[in-house]
Amino acid sequence: MSRLPPLEELVNLFEVEEVARQRLAPELFESIAAGAGAGLTLGRNREAFDRITLRPRVLVDVRAMDLGTQLLGRKLETPILVAPTSRQTLLHPEGELATLRGAAAAKATVVLSSRPGIPLERIAAQARGAFWCQLEPETGAGEFRQLVRRATDAGAQALCLSAGWRGEKPAPPVDWTLVARVREWTPAPLWIKGILAPGEARTAVEKGAQGIIVSNYGGRLVDGAMAAIEALPAVVEAVGRHVPVLIDSGFRRGTDVLKALALGANGVMLGRPPLWGLAAYGAEGVQKVLELIQTELALAMGLCGKPNLAAIDRSLVKIHKR
Amino acid sequence: MPAPFSRRAALRRLGAFAASSPLYQLGGQQRPPGLRERVPALEEIESVLEFEPVARARISRTAYDYVAGGVDGEFTLRRNRQAFEWAELVPRALAPAAAPDLSAEIFGQKLPCPILVAPTAAHSQVHPEGEKATHQGAAAAGVLMAVSSNSSYPIQEVAAAAKGPVWFQLYARDTPEGTRDRVERALAAGCQAVLLTVDTQYMSHRERMLHDRHLNIPAAGVPVRTRSRRQAGAPPAPYRLQPQNPDLSWKTVEAIRAYTNVPFLLKGILTAEDARLAVEHGVSGVVVSNHGGRYLDYAPSTLEALPEIVQAVGGRIPVLIDGGFRRGSDVFKALALGARAVLVGRPPLWGLGAFGPEGVRRVLEVLQAELAMAMAATGCATIAAIDRSAVLVDFA
Repeated sequence: MSRLPPLEELVNLFEVEEVARQRLAPELFESIAAGAGAGLTLGRNREAFDRITLRPRVLVDVRAMDLGTQLLGRKLETPILVAPTSRQTLLHPEGELATLRGAAAAKATVVLSSRPGIPLERIAAQARGAFWCQLEPETGAGEFRQLVRRATDAGAQALCLSAGWRGEKPAPPVDWTLVARVREWTPAPLWIKGILAPGEARTAVEKGAQGIIVSNYGGRLVDGAMAAIEALPAVVEAVGRHVPVLIDSGFRRGTDVLKALALGANGVMLGRPPLWGLAAYGAEGVQKVLELIQTELALAMGLCGKPNLAAIDRSLVKIHKR
Repeated sequence: MPAPFSRRAALRRLGAFAASSPLYQLGGQQRPPGLRERVPALEEIESVLEFEPVARARISRTAYDYVAGGVDGEFTLRRNRQAFEWAELVPRALAPAAAPDLSAEIFGQKLPCPILVAPTAAHSQVHPEGEKATHQGAAAAGVLMAVSSNSSYPIQEVAAAAKGPVWFQLYARDTPEGTRDRVERALAAGCQAVLLTVDTQYMSHRERMLHDRHLNIPAAGVPVRTRSRRQAGAPPAPYRLQPQNPDLSWKTVEAIRAYTNVPFLLKGILTAEDARLAVEHGVSGVVVSNHGGRYLDYAPSTLEALPEIVQAVGGRIPVLIDGGFRRGSDVFKALALGARAVLVGRPPLWGLGAFGPEGVRRVLEVLQAELAMAMAATGCATIAAIDRSAVLVDFA
């Protein structure tokens, strides 16, 4: 095995991916990397960013950079969160504990998978940073209530219901009566993840979702689906005035995040990159991944004349046909 | 030297590096001279792009990476070149121009051609005589040179090194007095215009240079910097930036304009909004520039940004442009889209690194000859005759 490069030598997320590729067993690395089918959507998630350029404004005072934002009443240091991914102990013995520790050091919120490698209560007991919990729609009603209670008791700041995706097969349709009841069971706000179509976003909000997460699950669900960033503008148009909208799938650069913010997203989640950091370096790798992209975002904002998130709007981007 | 990654990673990086080179755009016509190939002599070189591999072979790796590199993944660096492929010349077979006149005029100043040397920093990295040699080469080709605030030699020495006209590129300093002092030195040295760079609020991530630093390759004449540490007094934010000119504002522009008694331009404008503000604030001209793809990645190519800026300015002040110009036909395309003049940054440095002042001269002469050919083929007898009908673009 080649030498593990010191963390400070890594200058972007793709290089962290490369180290993870070296360190992990090929099948394990592939289990993170894989997309559905021929990988069309996997590729498209990245290519779509190359069709969006930025329109930087100059001669704006950007001495005081502030990436902070509010999401459903909670203050976030930056608009970048860690997306839910399952069984992180497969990648590193400390698993979710390390992910939370690294994210806390980078002041980022983590969404814990509904299938963690370590019991939720144990993670929560050691967590220093903020976390949300993921829910699965097909869980039986009794068990579902139990999950919501455990997450609430553990201190989850929000819940995130992942629609449309379970293992290799589609999940059953969302039971909307369950969604309505979650609102009674817990004060934690409920997000629905996996939305690409504006009509579905509208439905989810009507049925009680307090936030929408635009996602094609990193190209792992339906091959041929549009890139998440391509789906974003219509979803924001449909529900952005009423609820906050987050997005994930393919974000690797600070400029990617900035484009999503300009197109109306309130924040961005990273799925694979924190796993690369975790697998190669543990908590410090997670921290490094987050700090790299946070810094890239701050830099891109500064160079675009946007000292804070409120200054970012649609006029910052231009979408090209190629 | 320890290898930080595997061979595969190294190959991947080499591939990415090769793909980002302008040479790649030529479909393999040219490549850096290998061990068994001879380096061409100056008189054998027919196009600007051929200078790059020669310069690369003759200057340090850090100097090459400094000149060649862009920010982040170098998207904008590549797109600057790509955009020229989306604009096509419209030849006029029945009415070609026999001997086109390249002479141009800007701010009342007569120039033999609308091509200028763009301001670039630290020329002594590629040639011991630095900007003095560049100025000699430019003057020999009759080309105006814009000298960087970060030149290796003081502006008065650069200006005095040859008889050709010079402009001054201004980076604002930490204090208004410092900035004014810098401008006054340039004016005393005879600079005929001042270009304030406005797109460098924070130092960007030049990944090639960051890697060079981690490999501890010393830059020519520059001590190896210790690994970046949080600067004393820097906020404990999770994100750390290196400020360059984060406080530049339209007030700064007005203050500098007030005491600058030569044409005063803003360099680094990429939107119609800022172009309009520039006109309103009374500047003499704007340079459409993304800093050669070196500051904000995913900034648009300058050729793509040009039309909206030309339209917003509406002829009230001249619009200049830089960013990826390597062919006379590239220059022609920008002129057709409304640019008054084109600045070339990296090509003169390739000429300088490869052959000294003679190389600079040859680079600029090749560009002029190619521009003349493009004008001849399109039936444009003068620079003023080059208009929007001379090109077809599919991005505007």
